[in-house]
Amino acid sequence: MNNTAREAILGSIRSHLAASVPYDKLEISDGSSRIKTDCNPIPSASISDQFKASLEAVDGHCVVVRGDREIAEALTQIIGVLPKTNIAVSDNPEVERLLQLTDLEIEGLSIAPNARDIFRFDVGISTAQAAIAETGTLVLDSTSERHRLVSLVPPVHIAIIRGSQIYRTLGEVLTVIQSARDLSPAVTFITGPSRTADIELTLAIGVHGPQELYVIIDELN
Amino acid sequence: MNHLSSETFDQNAKAALADAHLRGALKNATSLFGERRKAAAASLPNWEDLRSEARAIKDEVLSHLDRYLEEFVGNAEARGAKIHWARDAGEANSIICGLASDRKARTVVKSKSMTTEETHLNIALEAAGMQVVETDLGEYIIQLADEPPSHIIAPAIHKTRGQIAELFNAELGMPLTDDVARLTSTARATLRDRFAAADVGISGVNFAIAETGTIVIVENEGNIRLTTSLPPVHMAVMGIEKVLPRFAHLDVFLKLLPRSGTGQRLTTYQSYITGTKRQPTDEGPEELHIVLLDNGRSRMLAHPVTRQSLACIRCGACLNACPVYQQVGGHAYGSVYPGPIGAVITPQLMGIQKAAQLPFASSLCGACREVCPVKIDIPRLLLHLRGEISPRKGKLSERLAFKLWAQVMMRPSLYKTSSVVGRIMQRFVPVAKAWTRGRDLRPIESKSFHELWSDE
Repeated sequence: MNNTAREAILGSIRSHLAASVPYDKLEISDGSSRIKTDCNPIPSASISDQFKASLEAVDGHCVVVRGDREIAEALTQIIGVLPKTNIAVSDNPEVERLLQLTDLEIEGLSIAPNARDIFRFDVGISTAQAAIAETGTLVLDSTSERHRLVSLVPPVHIAIIRGSQIYRTLGEVLTVIQSARDLSPAVTFITGPSRTADIELTLAIGVHGPQELYVIIDELN
Repeated sequence: MNHLSSETFDQNAKAALADAHLRGALKNATSLFGERRKAAAASLPNWEDLRSEARAIKDEVLSHLDRYLEEFVGNAEARGAKIHWARDAGEANSIICGLASDRKARTVVKSKSMTTEETHLNIALEAAGMQVVETDLGEYIIQLADEPPSHIIAPAIHKTRGQIAELFNAELGMPLTDDVARLTSTARATLRDRFAAADVGISGVNFAIAETGTIVIVENEGNIRLTTSLPPVHMAVMGIEKVLPRFAHLDVFLKLLPRSGTGQRLTTYQSYITGTKRQPTDEGPEELHIVLLDNGRSRMLAHPVTRQSLACIRCGACLNACPVYQQVGGHAYGSVYPGPIGAVITPQLMGIQKAAQLPFASSLCGACREVCPVKIDIPRLLLHLRGEISPRKGKLSERLAFKLWAQVMMRPSLYKTSSVVGRIMQRFVPVAKAWTRGRDLRPIESKSFHELWSDE
């Protein structure tokens, strides 16, 4: 039956297109000669500062640091004020190593918990594979790291990235993803904490995804 | 009142016009969305170029839709997705219900999808014995209230926080509150239970990329990520028109869609899903099923004017800009697709005789065409559809009035006299009663243009 439906739909598309009067075919770009669409470029600011400004504009938090010790300090400050510290980390060993550099008392730590266990964690920590300065966006690639759930289910998500991973525009990142030979099953773009305005158009942060998003940018690496 | 018919737009609109609360809510929503859209569009120096390019890409796809669909299907299947073709709503629903039943699914979580609203999938799943939970906050609210969405991107804009608090009180036992944050966190907690229990997640699709077999879904809340990440089975339902040739074309559409919809630079999340997981240890569902729905779409390809309807990216900008939608809201259209785009899509999907009033629910002012990010000429489409409807014979009085008007307009002396008489008569005699019931008639100026001109 599925094949019948397939042939019927494709047949219908072809016959209706054939019946149509000719349409002015417009040349479309192949993606390489696309219009340059940098929005609000901040020429003088560093790319990390531009990322930080964009992220803060959508209610995310961002700290720019230099080196492991400052990353650990930033983690201590963010996590230290939380009432509960059950922490889920991605399977990138860097994340756990950096967490061990802090002097936090951690109630529970788990590496990339599965869909059943992930609900009981208070904080999720991961890295990201790229970032976009003009929008304050994190780019997570599911083949590089198991961070699909730790970045989504816990109420607080902390992402640690390197300054060198930040691209200026959305278009640049899309081109990089496209050039990958085999796309990962899940690539996720994250721009700020979860939000909704479905009740009387009143903004509410943290409806389904994290209520708080922190990005720590390491400028030393 | 809840489920209105497209056949009775005129009556639905009258009822909506009498609802002062609804009109207040619509005014707030449409003007806020409209202002945000305008500001967001102005933040890009080349907005008009982007619109033209988006339309060119859509035109290319639609004029070779068979080819791009087959390319998309081939690439998605190569990466482990299962493709299902559905000629109509019934076929789509039975495919989905069949897959869910085979897996003994009991709880189905859904993220917002206009396409599954179009097929009335929830009714079919419930009839098959499954619990269906809408997880988008707005959709969840209207599901609890048993109402259809009233706006493409803000389904519950017609409800006040007070009404929502009463609904949550009755359905979830939550104490009454007027705090939006508390209402939201109650929904979060309730829905987390459902996500944890879900056997199947069903989503829509915003874009499907032919060259990679990727589906792209955009959102702000995170419920789409939960729906597509937690349950072991993900089913995505898409209209056949959603294909884009290349991944890089997303640059154009991701600039246009959020700015046109909510005025955002980018929505909080975009999920790019390409097939199923590669390793058993990978996160995410075991199975990905993509349902391709025709349901009248391929028919629209048969004419360049109607074909434009398939370029729509469901941003909702034309709703906010439309003076008719601003007054009557979404429910009056009696269709899941309201507003100007609904007035052209609904008659084509459901059959023109079932929605014959909708193409007339417009003053053809062109505001929808101005804001459309893919430059759909909606007024032209409306006229085209009006032409397909057997001509409505006006009332005798209406026909006589137009005849009289034509005679007067052709004779300057008669016109002059009539404007003087009209000015005096307007004070004493109510004219055009049927027309003024829902509108205000401006008083005629004390001096005509002719008189002002000769005064100079």
